[in-house]
Amino acid sequence: MKTILISLLVLLGASNNLLGQPNCKAFLFMGDTLKFEACEKSEEIKGHYQFSRAFQMILDDALTIDPSFDFAYVEKSVAYLKSGDFLTWKRLMDKAVEFNQEGNLGYRGWCRYQFFRDYKGAIEDIERLENLIQYDIGTSANGDYHLQIVRAICYNAIGDRSKAIEIIESQLARENHIVGKYDYLHLGVMYLTIGNFEKARQAFSNQENHNDLAENHYYMALLNRELNNRTEHIAHLEKAKEMYNLGRIMFDPYTHPYHKVYFSDIEKELEKAMMK
Amino acid sequence: MLKLHHLLVIIIATACSSEHSTKTKLNYLRWIGDIEFDSTLDNPDFELCHGESSVNQYFNFEQGLQYEGEKKSIIDEFDNKYQPIQSNESGLIRIRFIVNCKGETDRFRILTMDKYFDEKEFDPRIINQLLRITKGLNGWKILPNTEEARDYYQYLIFKIEAGNIVEILP
Repeated sequence: MKTILISLLVLLGASNNLLGQPNCKAFLFMGDTLKFEACEKSEEIKGHYQFSRAFQMILDDALTIDPSFDFAYVEKSVAYLKSGDFLTWKRLMDKAVEFNQEGNLGYRGWCRYQFFRDYKGAIEDIERLENLIQYDIGTSANGDYHLQIVRAICYNAIGDRSKAIEIIESQLARENHIVGKYDYLHLGVMYLTIGNFEKARQAFSNQENHNDLAENHYYMALLNRELNNRTEHIAHLEKAKEMYNLGRIMFDPYTHPYHKVYFSDIEKELEKAMMK
Repeated sequence: MLKLHHLLVIIIATACSSEHSTKTKLNYLRWIGDIEFDSTLDNPDFELCHGESSVNQYFNFEQGLQYEGEKKSIIDEFDNKYQPIQSNESGLIRIRFIVNCKGETDRFRILTMDKYFDEKEFDPRIINQLLRITKGLNGWKILPNTEEARDYYQYLIFKIEAGNIVEILP
């Protein structure tokens, strides 16, 4: 019973950074007083900005108490990540992974993709995590994607489209999969790229029903262009422009999402379509 | 003369980046990523509208990167002006700088790494071009778009493969 309780405490607090501040009492319950003290110290970051000197210094103090307290490395790394300092970010996240692989590999992999477009590194981290655990590998830190979809995007980016499609199809087929904001859009673009137009249409249609976006109509326009359907080609571009102006676009406050389309892309394509 | 200036920027930027590894809690600046004025590198006429202690980050306004014509305009600028270098150089190059409340830029600093996240010195012909083109970008938006415009930190990361720009972030 105690084993189950400890596992639950760890799962709910001590090892999962995506849930925020760890549950310090879990460490005490496990008999790790050093980590408990480091954890208590780290709670003082509440109210301090991630980028601030005070925030960093509190975590340094926590690491002085216990240099293996992975949460402190992760929290320290965030400001470096968001300011584009890949060197310091990686050094800190490597320490976090060293002390807690299960809790941090997925997050490091996601960041490698999202902030630095390190596709191979992201695949490596996500697959290491997959081989390490028996439960679901989880989602991206911003909640937009299941990590399997991120893995698929990375394979697509390095040119292995069939593997990317296979991963997404298999993830979407899982009963417990919660459809992400852009899952079907990515799948549709991948099918479009390899010339499987029927599958692409189906995926775009699913995206439209799930989360309609300007980008989805842009890619549907490209699909119709390939099928020599001029009316639909133009209609989807007009719709894409309309949705873009309404702000119904792929968006991330830090970086541009993969397969994002810009307004000028739509206008340029529309110009070409009108001239035909 | 211009090349000499850029070389100086690279040397100092490299020194600054290696400084991170020995940084102690005593020498944190106000915020991570802050860039202090350096009279040997920076334009003394570049003004911060709200002082050193009030420079934000570009994402603080929750609008993502904001540039006239969106990020596509930036990509087009580099597509048109960057001359690929024949080399095996690959990795990431970050140029971080400040956009003031008038949309002007200065305090450019460089950070570089290879594809394994280790520090790397790039061919100056790559760095100098990126720096020159970045300094020439003049479409940075005033944020937020009100009378209370702020100064903010922005960066561009260039993913380089064999001397070519293959992606630009953020």
